[in-house]
Amino acid sequence: MEATFLLTLLITFLASFIGYELISKIPQTLHTPLMSGSNAISGITLIAAILIYPEVGESQLLKIIVLIAIAFATLNIVGGFSVTGRILEMFKKND
Amino acid sequence: MIEIILLVSSVLFIFALKLFGRPSTAHRANTFAMLAMALAVFSAFNFDFSKYDSAFYITIVVSGLLGVLISKRVQMTQMPELVGLFNGFGGGASGAIAYVELSNNSLVMSDFFVAIFSMVIGVFTFSGSIIAVLKLRGKLNNVNTTIANIFSAFLPPLILLPAIWEEMEILSLEYFMLLALIAGIIRVAVIGGADMPVVIAFLNSLSGIAAMSAGFIVNSIILIVAGALVGASGIILTLLMCAAMNRTLLDVLKGGFGGTAINNEYDKEPISTSPEDVAIQLSYAESVVIVPGYGMAVAQAQAAVKELTNTLKDKNIEVKFAIHPVAGRMPGHMNVLLAEVDIDYEDMFTLEDINSEFSSTDVVIVLGANDVVNPLARTDEDSPIYGMPILDVDLAKQVIVIKRSMSPGYAGIANPLFINDNAKMLFADAKEGLENIIKSFELV
Repeated sequence: MEATFLLTLLITFLASFIGYELISKIPQTLHTPLMSGSNAISGITLIAAILIYPEVGESQLLKIIVLIAIAFATLNIVGGFSVTGRILEMFKKND
Repeated sequence: MIEIILLVSSVLFIFALKLFGRPSTAHRANTFAMLAMALAVFSAFNFDFSKYDSAFYITIVVSGLLGVLISKRVQMTQMPELVGLFNGFGGGASGAIAYVELSNNSLVMSDFFVAIFSMVIGVFTFSGSIIAVLKLRGKLNNVNTTIANIFSAFLPPLILLPAIWEEMEILSLEYFMLLALIAGIIRVAVIGGADMPVVIAFLNSLSGIAAMSAGFIVNSIILIVAGALVGASGIILTLLMCAAMNRTLLDVLKGGFGGTAINNEYDKEPISTSPEDVAIQLSYAESVVIVPGYGMAVAQAQAAVKELTNTLKDKNIEVKFAIHPVAGRMPGHMNVLLAEVDIDYEDMFTLEDINSEFSSTDVVIVLGANDVVNPLARTDEDSPIYGMPILDVDLAKQVIVIKRSMSPGYAGIANPLFINDNAKMLFADAKEGLENIIKSFELV
């Protein structure tokens, strides 16, 4: 358990580091689509909602809260990617 | 099998970020990221789709359709609000998940604290983002900082309260949630409109951090990796925005900056000009730099900017765009508005790239920008914007400022550029002013 936790922590640091290195190189022109795109990615918390949904048990209230989380995260993912696509399409035309 | 899908998904996410580095490949980055996301979400089902009832699937389909609908209808000038809203949704989702895990399971100690953290950050992001959206829509004015200061001062005892008062213990989850909710509202409410680029980027980062910590609770590596990437991206943008204003994140979050006129006295009258004169001036120029600001977005003047650019380019006049990092209401806001009207991103320049060129530029047009071209940032040590990197437009041969009045910008101070010997004011709304210049060209 301890070792898994440490490994997870290591992965977290590595991911943050790669993210920092790559994102630092993104030009100012693309900062808005970067934000809306990374915004869409933050909706990945949908995975957590999918994982816990079957285990919520009898409580209707908790079930509704998970459903709200699912709605929020799905909106975030679909809307975020769709609008990012729209923005990047405008930059593509210039090639 | 699931592990392999997740591995591919993680690699795709990282590749997507790499492709994002150039405007020409960025649209492919979005496809990669979407694919990565689809794989990650698919893997969460673990090939067992029967565990889920119709309420689950209906929620996914309806909110997905709603997301598409919103994203197709939103105007490019409303992008800051939209990103703000989606930040709130992402944070809210993570907060809700953490709450459910906390009230449903007996979590081990380390997971318990991570879950509390995720819930507090998620809920804070949610309420803060909603307030940010209201501010961006102009529905909420600056709130006095006193309320925020009082709340901050009482926060430590409020947090410790459940530990002392035993009867509260059963309620303490909801109590912490409420505190985070109020903290988000108050914290963002005191921050002024022009500081929103920092706030939006910061909340973006928090939504990633909330997702990352949710990943720790449910033991999902992909969730941790993706959350960390978003967290990192948000932090980078936050720090870039702060550096572009020469302020610290804490100073911005403290709020109370700007919005009120401190000193708007001028010791001489500005030189006023007409659209006809500007057209004549421009037709004699060889190089023109346009500096767009939030005023361009408010007036929806992008199309007029494109038309003027075409008119000038037809006359073999070189046209460039100088974009300050904090121009507008979110990072890269101006670039997107210009790209929307087909202005080539090769013509958009950052502060570092263009500042050395102003002294050899014939005419600079300042369009709805103010503080980011205020030379006091270089000269006046007592000025609230002292030390902020600015576009040195005052060094150009001639400057035309298109602005409705002499009113101060966000920092609330006079801008000596307006009364500079090489500067002329065209008192007009950004769109109207440009359209009149274009009309005058036909007469020149």
